[in-house]
Amino acid sequence: MEKAAITLNINGQDFDMLVEPRKLLSDAIREDARLTGTHVGCEHGVCGACTVQIDGRPQRSCLTFAVQAVGKSITTIEAIADGDGGYSALQQALHEEHGLQCGFCTPGIIMTFEAYLKENPDPTNEEIRDVLSGNLCRCTGYQGIVKAVKVAAERMRSGEHQGGRS
Amino acid sequence: MKPGRFTYHAPESLDAAFGLLGEYGDDAKILAGGQSLIPMMNLRMARPDHIVDIAAIPELTGISENGEQVTIGSMTCHADIVAAEILVQRCPILPAAAKFIAHHAIRNRGTIGGSVSHADPAAEWPLIAILLDAEMVVRSSRGERRVQAADFIQSIYTVDLEPDEILTSLVFPVLAADEGWAFQQISRRAGDFAIVTVAVTLALAPGGTIERLRLCLGGMDVTPFRLNDVERDATGKAPDATWMEEVAQLAAASGSPESDMHASIEYRREMAAHLTKQALNTAIQRCRGGDG
Amino acid sequence: MNEDAAPFNVIGKPLPRKEDRRFLTGRGRYLDDIDLPGTIHVCFVRSPYAHARILSIDISEAEQMPGVVAVVTGEQVNQWTAPLRMAPPIDGLQPMEMTTLPVDKVRFQGDPVACVVATDRYLAEDAAELVLVDYEPLDVVADMFEAMKEAAPKVDDALSTNLVSHQTFAHGDTAARMRQAHRVVEAEFRSHRQTHLPMETRGILADWDEGRGHLTLHVGNQAPHPYRSVMAGRMKMKESEVTVIVPDVGGGFGQKIAVYREELTVAALARHLKRPVRWREDRLENLSAASHARENVARTRAAVDANGCLLALELELYEDFGAYSFYPANYLARVIAMILTGPYRVQDYAYDVKIALTNKCGNGPMRAPMAITSWIMEGTMDAIARDLGLDPVDVRRRNILSENDLPYTMATGETLEDINPAEVMEKGLAAFDYEAFRRRQAEDRNSGVYRGVGICNVVESTTYGSKFYKAAGIPGSGHECAWVKVEPSGAVRASAGVMATGQGYETAFSQAVGEGLGIDPANVAIELGNTDVAPYGMGSRGARGGTAGGGTLYLAAQAVRDKALAIAANLMGLNSAERLRLTDGVVQQFANDAWSDTELTLADIARVAYLDPTKLPDGMDPGLETLKAYDPPAMTYSNLVHICEVQVDVQTGEIAIPRYLIVENCGTMLNPTIVKGQQLGATIMGLSGTLFEHIVYDENGQNLTGTLADYLVMSADKAPEIEILDLSTPNQRTPAGLKGMAEGGVMGAIGAVTGAVNDALAPFDVVFDRHPLSPNAIRAKLRSKI
Repeated sequence: MEKAAITLNINGQDFDMLVEPRKLLSDAIREDARLTGTHVGCEHGVCGACTVQIDGRPQRSCLTFAVQAVGKSITTIEAIADGDGGYSALQQALHEEHGLQCGFCTPGIIMTFEAYLKENPDPTNEEIRDVLSGNLCRCTGYQGIVKAVKVAAERMRSGEHQGGRS
Repeated sequence: MKPGRFTYHAPESLDAAFGLLGEYGDDAKILAGGQSLIPMMNLRMARPDHIVDIAAIPELTGISENGEQVTIGSMTCHADIVAAEILVQRCPILPAAAKFIAHHAIRNRGTIGGSVSHADPAAEWPLIAILLDAEMVVRSSRGERRVQAADFIQSIYTVDLEPDEILTSLVFPVLAADEGWAFQQISRRAGDFAIVTVAVTLALAPGGTIERLRLCLGGMDVTPFRLNDVERDATGKAPDATWMEEVAQLAAASGSPESDMHASIEYRREMAAHLTKQALNTAIQRCRGGDG
Repeated sequence: MNEDAAPFNVIGKPLPRKEDRRFLTGRGRYLDDIDLPGTIHVCFVRSPYAHARILSIDISEAEQMPGVVAVVTGEQVNQWTAPLRMAPPIDGLQPMEMTTLPVDKVRFQGDPVACVVATDRYLAEDAAELVLVDYEPLDVVADMFEAMKEAAPKVDDALSTNLVSHQTFAHGDTAARMRQAHRVVEAEFRSHRQTHLPMETRGILADWDEGRGHLTLHVGNQAPHPYRSVMAGRMKMKESEVTVIVPDVGGGFGQKIAVYREELTVAALARHLKRPVRWREDRLENLSAASHARENVARTRAAVDANGCLLALELELYEDFGAYSFYPANYLARVIAMILTGPYRVQDYAYDVKIALTNKCGNGPMRAPMAITSWIMEGTMDAIARDLGLDPVDVRRRNILSENDLPYTMATGETLEDINPAEVMEKGLAAFDYEAFRRRQAEDRNSGVYRGVGICNVVESTTYGSKFYKAAGIPGSGHECAWVKVEPSGAVRASAGVMATGQGYETAFSQAVGEGLGIDPANVAIELGNTDVAPYGMGSRGARGGTAGGGTLYLAAQAVRDKALAIAANLMGLNSAERLRLTDGVVQQFANDAWSDTELTLADIARVAYLDPTKLPDGMDPGLETLKAYDPPAMTYSNLVHICEVQVDVQTGEIAIPRYLIVENCGTMLNPTIVKGQQLGATIMGLSGTLFEHIVYDENGQNLTGTLADYLVMSADKAPEIEILDLSTPNQRTPAGLKGMAEGGVMGAIGAVTGAVNDALAPFDVVFDRHPLSPNAIRAKLRSKI
């Protein structure tokens, strides 16, 4: 099918693009909106690296066609730290707890948990690991990530952390 | 792995959708949540020429209840079923089963209608639908028909749906307040396709014997199936350890499981027995007011 | 810690990582994030057959598709490039020659035969489907033992057999010891096929500058300089005409070292088409056609006395190497055989190593290529204990190297020193409370709960100096190279020939430089991966980054410091720099029994060095920079123990890991937080391989595990929490006492979890000698027992 002119709203900004209907949202975000923080690891929905938020809900951008996301509000990793470069509580905690190494899986994990912690402000380690099971990491062994989510949750509950636009 | 080309349609009404499906027939595929279809398209294992995206059709989402039944729109996503208070109250096995489906992000897009229509032998929704004798509401330009789940789900990846029909909603009976239930699954990791699943509802008579048992197995054949003979024979029996062992052995011997890289036939049969015992125990605890 | 070593100022601090900012905010620049105007995309046409003759390739329909720029086959690509000749002068190794793309026949499912170039990947995939290849299927050999038989179909027609490598070794007289022994205990170990699975797949972006005749390759690679040298040779170009720039890399684990045929094809296409050309590997390709690892069968025969002391050890080792040789075929198995005896005392040792080609994807080194050594030795120790009715810990105690044994020269000639296996094991057992565990285990068995403990002692060979390669007959060097530059403003830059794929070099190395020079690591910029910038070094592999990379940087920084202080002394009118040091970039002087700040800073010295050279000491060149090379000892060792507690559900075969403990000696740590991250990641990778991962080929060579739904890796819900205790001692021979690490975790995990499962199920008299330890596999063995 011929390319269609669509507009995607990403991080509050409108991006006009010309895409075939088969173009995956992950590719549209990366190539047409030039936001390369969202990564592609498998294109079959398993690894979680491509996770973005659509209307605030984490979803696999590799399992969505760009045309399906028209009229929605898409949020990617680039929107999480605030304009002054201030980390969100989760970003800060991942940094402190060494919850990342090569960084490739990191944006997908952040987008998943920024949303999750809003709905579930006091998760147990088991609950964190259950949610995290949807994101594969080959570097860290997960332990630092789990600790970071726990620390971030505590800080968010106590209002300790300032900064970030999660 | 990029999908092949297709023409995209996003009808905003059922009539418009019927028109498109009527026109394109077997060359068209309905796009629901896409969490099963799009991976197959990315691998180029599915190559529809036309995609009919039904996400914009308003009457396909929503959960309602009328005392005896709950009706769930086919485009309701798994995450919304997990969170639906009405279901937690009236038919708790539904949100409980939904939690097992894949992962958080997949549940935000995958739909109950998509899952049931896809009829993967290991999937949760076909099994629950068959367990509860759910009714599939199927519509087309010719009108509406209702199909029992066990008739709708015919075989592996095969359902009773004409190319120009859309599954619009699923009607489940509510569970009685003191009806026990259980959903037990074994898989390699959280969210993986189940190797074997056992789902049970159990109602006890005032004397403590079984009033009604429903037991459904998944992963043991090309579709989930009920142990009809076991269910019939259960009425009036005492739900003791001996009975549970008998049922477990019957479950193990049932169906026609296949071997694959993750589970042999023997393993599936063993797990059927193991999970049946767990499910029956849990269901009984719930009958008696426990949390299971 | 060695009491003689002065405490470090910045080495050893758990500084959070400098590189985190861009990764946390989605501003990393991985290969696919780099955009060059006019870039076109490739898609490879790959064989669906495991073994087939290529009769013809019809590209006419594909060429005409809109958006297609070119379609090429091996005929053209092989003219533009030189073949790979893999022929190191090693006894028992058959030389192999491979063209860039196959023209006569394909050797595994996924073997690339043609390449489509189009304006985007979607169109390239469309066109690839229209390339018509006429194959004549041939008989397939998908099992290494079948492959070694006389009548087996030949994978490489130029070789006399599929037995591409056969090496033997003997030290002492194992046969005599077997005859004299109280018992000869036999054991077998079967390791299954796995793959590296970095979260970022492979790829390349080749940029040809027609005006300058220069090729710039953007590629994720662990060893940029060796890669460039090989690329230049294969492209029939001079090294000075090729630049390799490695961006941020999403994991390597050994898969991103060799030059791959796809990358070479893309480079040749860029030069031919005079446009930037990109290849992005997808996950299907990565699982089936990148590189595989670890498919080995090992059999040991251990001669023991009545106390379970090892008198001699014989190893028979086999490897299924796949269809192509991108590394010398003996390379992976050799290191297994050479370091097998590890932390145990035995001098009469012999091995026989056979490597076979099969119709599968070729092998490459995967994080800890020698990983199975620890499983084999620990499994042998456990077999000895079972056979003689001894406690497995006692057997280990009687054989493990203790302080008195060191330095210990292994039967294969390598000398072990600066390790403490006995101490580490005892500390682990004490921290785990081994005795209490055995009591708990016995009680639980009575109630049908089956717990087990696995102990795995590891000696991890790291860093590999040039002397090792020479002794092993492997061509290549083990040295590393680094420069440190202080700019006129006092800004400090440093570089080495290694490349990070997640190990935090920017932080750890800035600590090495900060320590050597005497400045805050925050003020050091580490530049890696660009071959026009970084000095020629051997790259990151074999756990050499810390010692070779960090060590050379440390030495280079010290050299710059010495020059800076000589300048300072001259400026201060002193005879020598003896009583001067740099701390936090400020020159300090020792006078009246104390160090105090002078007025001079590193920036002042730098300004003089570059802009006021008449103030320099006589004979000293202007500038403030140095280039240093360092060749590490033949081998540098770390040692560790993994103690794993499992609980096996005998009904379902599921394994839970309630406790996991590591005690490790990994020498001086540049950054303990980064070290811990490596220990955890390696351990989970080892557990993942043992419990979940499996590349499965059927008897027709069809790969059944081409997606992540089939190739399972350990996810967070299954990963245990790991406790780590430190018992590190510095290496006496290396800069700052550094040792390599980060592979030992894989080695420990395989042995520890397998041992634990065997221990848990001992009452049923089952022993697992193969992986993965899936619930299905566990139930299969228990079925006749329970």
